[in-house]
Amino acid sequence: MASWPENPRLISGEIPRVDGLGKASGKTKYPSDIHPEGMLFAVMLYSPHAHAKIKSIDTSKAEKINGVRGVHLLAKEGATLRFQGDDIAAVAADTEELALDGARAIEIEYEILPHVATERQAMADDAPKVNPRGNVQKGRAQVNGEPDSAFDQADAVVEATYSVPVITHVCLETHGLTARWDSENTITAWASTQNVMGVSGELGGAFNIPPTNVTTLTEVMGGGFGSKFSADSWGIAAAELAKKTGKPVRLFLDRAQEHMAAGNRPSATGKVKIGVTKDGKIVALTADTYGTGGIARGAGFPLPYVYEVPNSRREHSDVFLNGGNARAMRAPGHPEGCCLMEAAVDDVAEKLGIDPLEFRLKNLPEGDFKTPIYQAEIVLGAEKIGWSERKPRGKAEGKGPLRIGYGMALHTWGGGGAQDKQVNCIISPDGSVELRSATQDIGTGARTILAIIAAEVLGLEVKDVYSNIGNSTFPPGQASGGSTTTPSMAPPALNAATQARDELFKRVGKAINEDPSKLSLAKGKLLVDGKETMSFADACRKLGMMPVSVTAGFTEGLSSNGVGGCQFAKVEVDTETGVVRVKKIVAVQDSGLILDMLTWRSQIYGGVIGGLNYGLFEEQVMDPTTGLFLNADMELYKLAGASDIPEIDVIAYHTEEMRKRGVIGVGEPPTISTSAAIGNAVSNAIGVRVPRWPMSPMNVLNAMTNQES
Amino acid sequence: MRAFEYASPTSVDDAIKALASHETSAALAGGTDLLSRMKEDVLRPGRLVYVKAIKDLTGISVDRTAVSIGASTRLVDLVEHPALKSDFPSLHQAALEVGTPQVRNMATLGGNLLQRPTDWYFRNGFGLLGGKKQGRNLVRDLEGEYAPIDVPEKAHLVRDGDNRYAAIFMTDGDALYVNTSSLAPPLIALGAQATLLGPDGERTVEVADLYRIPKSADESELTIKPGELLTRVSFPSSKILNATYEIRQKQSHDWPLVLCSVALDMDGDNVAKASIVLGSVAPIPYRSAAAVQAITGKPINAETAEAAAKAATEGAQPLSMNGYKVALTRTAVKRALLAAAGQRYWEA
Repeated sequence: MASWPENPRLISGEIPRVDGLGKASGKTKYPSDIHPEGMLFAVMLYSPHAHAKIKSIDTSKAEKINGVRGVHLLAKEGATLRFQGDDIAAVAADTEELALDGARAIEIEYEILPHVATERQAMADDAPKVNPRGNVQKGRAQVNGEPDSAFDQADAVVEATYSVPVITHVCLETHGLTARWDSENTITAWASTQNVMGVSGELGGAFNIPPTNVTTLTEVMGGGFGSKFSADSWGIAAAELAKKTGKPVRLFLDRAQEHMAAGNRPSATGKVKIGVTKDGKIVALTADTYGTGGIARGAGFPLPYVYEVPNSRREHSDVFLNGGNARAMRAPGHPEGCCLMEAAVDDVAEKLGIDPLEFRLKNLPEGDFKTPIYQAEIVLGAEKIGWSERKPRGKAEGKGPLRIGYGMALHTWGGGGAQDKQVNCIISPDGSVELRSATQDIGTGARTILAIIAAEVLGLEVKDVYSNIGNSTFPPGQASGGSTTTPSMAPPALNAATQARDELFKRVGKAINEDPSKLSLAKGKLLVDGKETMSFADACRKLGMMPVSVTAGFTEGLSSNGVGGCQFAKVEVDTETGVVRVKKIVAVQDSGLILDMLTWRSQIYGGVIGGLNYGLFEEQVMDPTTGLFLNADMELYKLAGASDIPEIDVIAYHTEEMRKRGVIGVGEPPTISTSAAIGNAVSNAIGVRVPRWPMSPMNVLNAMTNQES
Repeated sequence: MRAFEYASPTSVDDAIKALASHETSAALAGGTDLLSRMKEDVLRPGRLVYVKAIKDLTGISVDRTAVSIGASTRLVDLVEHPALKSDFPSLHQAALEVGTPQVRNMATLGGNLLQRPTDWYFRNGFGLLGGKKQGRNLVRDLEGEYAPIDVPEKAHLVRDGDNRYAAIFMTDGDALYVNTSSLAPPLIALGAQATLLGPDGERTVEVADLYRIPKSADESELTIKPGELLTRVSFPSSKILNATYEIRQKQSHDWPLVLCSVALDMDGDNVAKASIVLGSVAPIPYRSAAAVQAITGKPINAETAEAAAKAATEGAQPLSMNGYKVALTRTAVKRALLAAAGQRYWEA
């Protein structure tokens, strides 16, 4: 059985990203930067209305514009448009401006239909139906134990309503691709995607050609967060226009449509009742929750979350409205469940007068393998944030109107890998080493990590290995979602590199008349019986004309599934303005064996910053009257800038025991509990729960005012 | 963005000619506001006249009587000017808090004063008065669309919609957006005048009079006439206590939720004459006569500042969602007054 090296030279070290310099210096070309010769620019025309029917559509004026080369309709006469941003047409032209002129010249007569744009509108008794089965679809109640009678054993009960808004992914590189037909049945697509194979499959399906005839290339990409698994209607439209015009066509969404149509994280609102005994054990929890993912299902989330709750009842409804559809977003469901659960846990601990940290320790599930991990992580995090400085809620201290507050929250995630992916390792006679797989680097450092693994095995430096990914024609690789890329791809990379090395030993051994078992590799040299004999490149020359090429897959024992993790926040709230400044976040995370400390830490930073945005700033604002997305920009849709980022202290829980678990993904876990911890810290600072996220001056001051009145 | 003509004159005279020779011309300086609105298709000037290359429109001069600042002076140059920093911290601070370093490197004094409202209904093509109506339909400027049918007759997009950032003063009428210029309040408090040059010559107006409340959907909220160019802003250079306090949600790149500038003529320890101007609370920069009255004749301390702050918000008429801005206004007035007196109690 394959295993990770006992005393690795590179693995678990601090290895800079192999493509870091190119990205930081602007040299690297992102998919949206790639302009093949003769390329046309295409834009989408999308619904300006929240709900409307197309009575008639006339593209003749658009097609007559000089420089407009093609118009492709995605919605035909009679089609119903269900949200602002819904697809109507795509227009290709010599320049982006001409394409926009073309889109504006399409004449459409709409029958405007009544809309519901907010949850309140959608849930009203006489609301127009977005979904034929009703706007509010209630799932079956999930019951555990006897929640109603269990509340009789409770010494303290808290009942409150908490909510988090809809937010969007805000990928810095918007969704899209550039498509070129290379023959009548082959396509090259430069796509900003987290799923090169999926894009090839969809494009192939749309044009009835084999997926292997579609080469999807994603050397790097500007963020996906779960929203870029698909070729999407606009990607297929780009290929349609490319076919129609005979030229490569580039179609990337604009920022507004990116917000409206390219996915979102659903909202969550929950009326939560939690009962505890005076010694601090949760006895019961009931929750009535709902959330909206626009026109789509997908607003479910886990609750109860993390803690042992012997008796519970959960009822959840998905609310449908005329808004863009939800897509998976970094740890789908978990940030919502975490905010609601951790707020209730904090509130009931405060009511009971128990330190919320102690309360959490008392309610970790007995017998769960994660419980000792949480216990250890909480100790580390509490120390780093200075939890002992924390005052009980309502007694926070600070200069003048400022109050310092501390909060914490726990999270969990799976992060196991798929077991069916492959990596090809090629050692060429010139000594070059290349890894190939149809996975891609969504930003986790997949490219770097694969190179580290092969370099470790082959006694080379990371720079000596070319990690060639982001190409759908290579051996099947993992789509980057659910924190699965590294745990899916690292085992086949190790196996491919190991088997390629063994093949190299066999063939070189034969050439130099040595038994392969006597050969080893270190520091770029071939060793015989532990003695350096020649350089790696000279050894490879013994291969003659024929490279070593091994494609290997998954084996047991190299990866695992299931992580804990906790975060702590220290905030300063100006009680006269409601402005919250996060002073420090401590993130303690386990994820089995960490392959590269730098890219691992980078995932935690990114996750925490995303969580901070969720905690403090982000919110989709839908207008009840017009049904429009009012802040579909990056200005009134607020996101942290450099000065809003606090000190972030990342602690790897990377004990011998964790390393033995093998590789587990870390993309999602670090973004889950940040906003919950910030919410708890704000409440600790100001002495009252802020029940609505984000922690904006409006929401903070409203909570303080409600407390006073 | 739609196609447009472009001129880059190097003299003021040429700029006026270039502006006058097209019906829908607009002056382009930093472009940080104008170009975004053009991309959104909310503004569609047929000609842009670039005015940052005109040397006469840039620069800051301070003499014994006046401070004079060219309209094309960049915000970064305001921020870095030593005399402004030492003597007119209200202007320095307001400029320092605009946008980001990148924005301040591009944006200009004139552009900040004449920027269009950030109101999201305006930016979505519904004008400034809560929605243009045609019968019971709403008209959306973008592409000449109609937005939803059958809106109740008295419906007002802002009053009945998401008004979290909207006005809390002067809310009886239909103009419920706010003036978000960060530089207008300090300049008005300092008694600044603006020079406007047009085909018919030059005129000088109070900075406060650059703004008006539009009476109809087609009327601009700015009083500058088509073809006119804002060339210069000047105010007395006499020493006066002054300060600006801005409250915003984010530290980086955000608009003020509320901003207050004060200028105080002192007679010994007491305020002889005061000017207190609020930004982002009304469709025009809002002078608080009540706050002035409350502080006049009194020393500046926690108690009098609090009283002035309370006076400032009496008569506020917040909308359904922006009551919190009343509290913010109180804090901004109090802190601006105490900042002018050097009593920054809120700084940790």
